[in-house]
Amino acid sequence: MRSSGYLATRWLGVGLASVLAVVTLGLALTGRLGLYINPESSWFAVGMSVLVLVGAALSFTLPLGAEADHGHDHGDAADDAHDHVDHPVHPVALAATVAGGVAASGVVLLTLVLPPTSLSAELAMSRDVGAPPLFAGSDAVILAATGDTTSFGVGEWATVFATATNPDAFDGDTVTLTGFVTPGDGSAAGFDLTRLVITHCVIDAQPASIPVAASDGLETGQWVTITGTVSSTSDGRLQIDASSVEPIDEPADPYEY
Amino acid sequence: MASSSTSVVARPRASKAWVAVGIGVLVIGGLFLIDAFAPAFFAAPLPTRAQDGLTLAISVLIESLPFVALGVVLSIVVQVWVPPGVIERWMPRRAWARRMVLSLLGMVVPVCECGNVPFARGLLMRGFTVPETLTFLIAAPIVNPIVIITTHQAFGFSDGILIARLLGGYAIANLIGWLYSRHPDPDGLLTDRFRETCELVVHEPGGRGRRSLAQFVIELRAVMPALVIGSALAGAVQVLIPREALLAIGSNPALSIVAMIALAMVVSICSNVDAFFALSFASTFTPGSIVAFLLVGPLVDIKMLALMRTTFTTRTLAGIVVVVILSAFAIGSVVNLLA
Repeated sequence: MRSSGYLATRWLGVGLASVLAVVTLGLALTGRLGLYINPESSWFAVGMSVLVLVGAALSFTLPLGAEADHGHDHGDAADDAHDHVDHPVHPVALAATVAGGVAASGVVLLTLVLPPTSLSAELAMSRDVGAPPLFAGSDAVILAATGDTTSFGVGEWATVFATATNPDAFDGDTVTLTGFVTPGDGSAAGFDLTRLVITHCVIDAQPASIPVAASDGLETGQWVTITGTVSSTSDGRLQIDASSVEPIDEPADPYEY
Repeated sequence: MASSSTSVVARPRASKAWVAVGIGVLVIGGLFLIDAFAPAFFAAPLPTRAQDGLTLAISVLIESLPFVALGVVLSIVVQVWVPPGVIERWMPRRAWARRMVLSLLGMVVPVCECGNVPFARGLLMRGFTVPETLTFLIAAPIVNPIVIITTHQAFGFSDGILIARLLGGYAIANLIGWLYSRHPDPDGLLTDRFRETCELVVHEPGGRGRRSLAQFVIELRAVMPALVIGSALAGAVQVLIPREALLAIGSNPALSIVAMIALAMVVSICSNVDAFFALSFASTFTPGSIVAFLLVGPLVDIKMLALMRTTFTTRTLAGIVVVVILSAFAIGSVVNLLA
């Protein structure tokens, strides 16, 4: 009983951390860490994962249960009073600890054995709050005004579309963009081209979308690359008139940063 | 427990140690092999929602693991390597002044909210009092340079959001520190398990290297299950509670604050980047509600509560949550009145 408890201590601590470190390094080695976190912070994730694994390897030199060793040679007569192993543990507390340990192990093992995936189009739609993400802020609008829009993704264009004060300035710009299809607002034939934008990690992902005028008939969630021109509609909003809409497989880098 | 066998193994010969490390390396190598080849056998996708929840949970885990590791390292440093008295000598004598200094510790210690928990445990084991450690734990996720920079990038000085966040976080931390310093039995705020761990760590035998390893094992055991469960809950809640339900509340001055507080507790975003997240709500929500979001999220979101539960009793956490939410509501209301 005691040694199984010590094994559980190792697995739930060093073990879980090691599995996650291995997953992190595995993703980094195959260039897929961007599926979960902004690649800008990869160096930190990779560095600390290596450190966890070094610590985990070294921890094998520590005999099982040694971390619970009181060092009873300090001659404290009241030792037995605080010997933690002999404390009666409330059955509910014990059950909660076991259930928590099993749940945590399950999540971490799923992480290890399941292939990494990106968030679904349904989630992107449920996160749409009607306001564009403003990460790029005014920089994108200034850049756009100077005419250098070659590096723009869906996120930057969504910001420009939402905040541009003189829509006509962008009329006629040609764009080539990749994203997935979500239903438009129904005011015109076409769809919204959507992409999730990440600041730090996937949990802060926010959808950016721009209206595309094109013949309909694409399934929600289908990835496409569109080529077209920016045009302003009669009511002063911007949209993209697509000259070509090409269905593609999900790209290796599904997010913008 | 101090049987003869343990004391023999406590001083292993060098070759024995290398064998042990070799076994460790083999096990880790095995994990890498599983990571590389197992996904081929699990190609059938999960239902969309379950998969999204898992993806979100994994992203929080991968993103916070390095900070937790850093927190554990710092915890080992303050517990094992910094000689007794070195930190204490620099601290003011008066309790309230000590707490005010500790709440600025986040400016120099490079951990964000997840890493703070193991570091705070290290401080407690070193002998800092419970109210002092709580003050640090509550202040550091907000009063730290990265958070100040990113909040400034997102909001500048508009509507006093940055100032309200900084001063608010500092004030809430010191308020909580003061409240709990009035508690008759501060040790009663801690879980039994953590008190036993303290007892263990203080009397841990062996050299510094061995004590560091023991602390590494103990701290990861304490923090990792809580981190995993907190992340899984955060992922699950996000796919189960429709965000529109919270956001339908709109621009009502009081209700918008309540909605953003609820959102902050649910989404569990790192305090380093939550300002950018909040920015996209700035057009539809009141400035006060944004401030409330930025105050509550780093202190008492789901993931943080799971982590803090490793150390503090449920009752203590309930008290902290109530104080944080009421304070954030009050500060948010003031911002709404002034803005």
